Amino acid sequence: MGYIVDILLIAVGAALINNFVLYYFVGICPFIGVSRKVDMAFGMGCAVTFVISIAAFLSWTITTYILKPGAPLSKWIAGLFVSPEMAANIDLTILCYIVYIFAIASSVQFVEMYVRKFFPALYKSFGVFLPLITTNCAILFACLTIMSNVAGVDNPADAWDLGRSLTLAVFGGIGFTIAIVIMAGIREELELCDIPKPLEGAAITLVVAGILALAFMGFTGVDSGLKKALTPETPETVQVQVIHNVQSLASSGNYIYQ
Amino acid sequence: MFRAWPVQVTIFINNWGITMTWVTISLSAGTLVGMAVIMTYILGWANKAFHVEIDPRVESINEVLPGANCGGCGFVGCGEYAEAIASGEADVNKCTVGGASCAADIASIMGVEVEESLPYRPVVHCGAHYAERLQRTEYRGEQRCQTANIVAGVQGCTFGCLGFGDCTIACKYDAIHVIDGLATVDYDKCIGCGACAKVCPRNIISMVPFRYEQMIAVTCSNKDFGKAVKDVCTVGCIGCKACQRNSGLFKIENNLSVVNYDVYNDLDDSGIDNLKKAMDKCPRKGIVFIGKPSEKDILALMHEDIPKIAKPDFKTTVDDTEWRG
Repeated sequence: MGYIVDILLIAVGAALINNFVLYYFVGICPFIGVSRKVDMAFGMGCAVTFVISIAAFLSWTITTYILKPGAPLSKWIAGLFVSPEMAANIDLTILCYIVYIFAIASSVQFVEMYVRKFFPALYKSFGVFLPLITTNCAILFACLTIMSNVAGVDNPADAWDLGRSLTLAVFGGIGFTIAIVIMAGIREELELCDIPKPLEGAAITLVVAGILALAFMGFTGVDSGLKKALTPETPETVQVQVIHNVQSLASSGNYIYQ
Repeated sequence: MFRAWPVQVTIFINNWGITMTWVTISLSAGTLVGMAVIMTYILGWANKAFHVEIDPRVESINEVLPGANCGGCGFVGCGEYAEAIASGEADVNKCTVGGASCAADIASIMGVEVEESLPYRPVVHCGAHYAERLQRTEYRGEQRCQTANIVAGVQGCTFGCLGFGDCTIACKYDAIHVIDGLATVDYDKCIGCGACAKVCPRNIISMVPFRYEQMIAVTCSNKDFGKAVKDVCTVGCIGCKACQRNSGLFKIENNLSVVNYDVYNDLDDSGIDNLKKAMDKCPRKGIVFIGKPSEKDILALMHEDIPKIAKPDFKTTVDDTEWRG
């Protein structure tokens, strides 16, 4: 139960509450660049979701087995040359940026070839933006978030597994798609509007993006509410609460409860 | 959030630290080399497995085309036109910007003979400046032809140029300007993309095959009867058929004189005399030569006093700024 709640919270958090585009302001380039038409924006969102999932899988695998301190593969290889205690301390997380960019670029290249072969129409509509996914910071951001939750945690038991990482990536991609499709819908209507001349073009787009980000601020706090609603009150927590209540009553000098 | 640099690498300079440093460095290098080998293998396989045959002619046609993406050919951009040519869906002579030389290059790539293609240029079928237009009222709405066209009574003539310059805005090449209320094409700059003809709400700009540098044109598009035309304009065509009687080049359709450009090339000497007669006979002087100035015109100007220094006409940009909304 706890695991499913955790997954749900990560999903809602990535898609709505901490939306990559509208909360962290990563991935702005395609958000502004490809949000002219809804269908194209949807295609871009799907491509980003696809690439982000592949990149998350790669980055989780690489981080868990090679990069993080005491990762099995690097530990085993180092163990061939140095003592086991030293091998357990090998930390390759300094490589994160270069390795993730490498993995992302390769997977984008792969996706590009695949789409070109099997979906020529989609390939045409993407134009220059498919290669640009390589430098889409939303994807690197997802990879780095996964890394900080795999290698950066104090307790090894708290490290994310593949399921949590993929949830973050897929729902982060869906959140990106939601944001860019809403944006494209607004921009399609903006084409018909009489916009004051100084605000035409990029200016009004950024204003709209800002208002959209403000609107998404409304999701803040949904996660704690969800957590409260979904976590059953186990006897342990009840006990802790009782003790807490007793302590607070005692400290406030109220002894009437006896 | 993220784990800091491994402390072993930077702080401890003893035997243990140095060993760790070298192990870390070699492992990093090994990781990158290993990833490079794996990714190269996968991408190399994908490149073969997902190989797409591209017609090499598309790229060479793309190089020949001007790349202006003006849409004059009827396609979205030069790339789409190149693909349409290569697949045989489009003719090679559709590019008005590139002209004959471009068509010949594409034809040689495609291995076909190029048909004669004439450069199309816009002709404004209206000859009335503000002074010649009657029944004009001040219009305070949005200063665009498209909106002014909807409103009744901006000017008497419901066919003629409104002079708010939608065509000027549409032109990417700075080749059409509104001079004293009348859209006037600068044929030196015009490349014939047809953007102005598409945007004109009254459809008074038509694309005409320019067989010569200068062409005959009727500068009116009013289809009303003569009296109605006289009420609203001092230069509009009244449909008197004087031109039709004198030259076979003209035909009156719907009370409006129209030039038949198909027979333009077949004029012999007597035909040209007839044409001159028709131009003289036109009571409204609405039949004119338009196009680039001929050498004769330039020679005629040579003896006139032309100021050696053209003084710039200073104006602040604020005067031109259009505030809307």
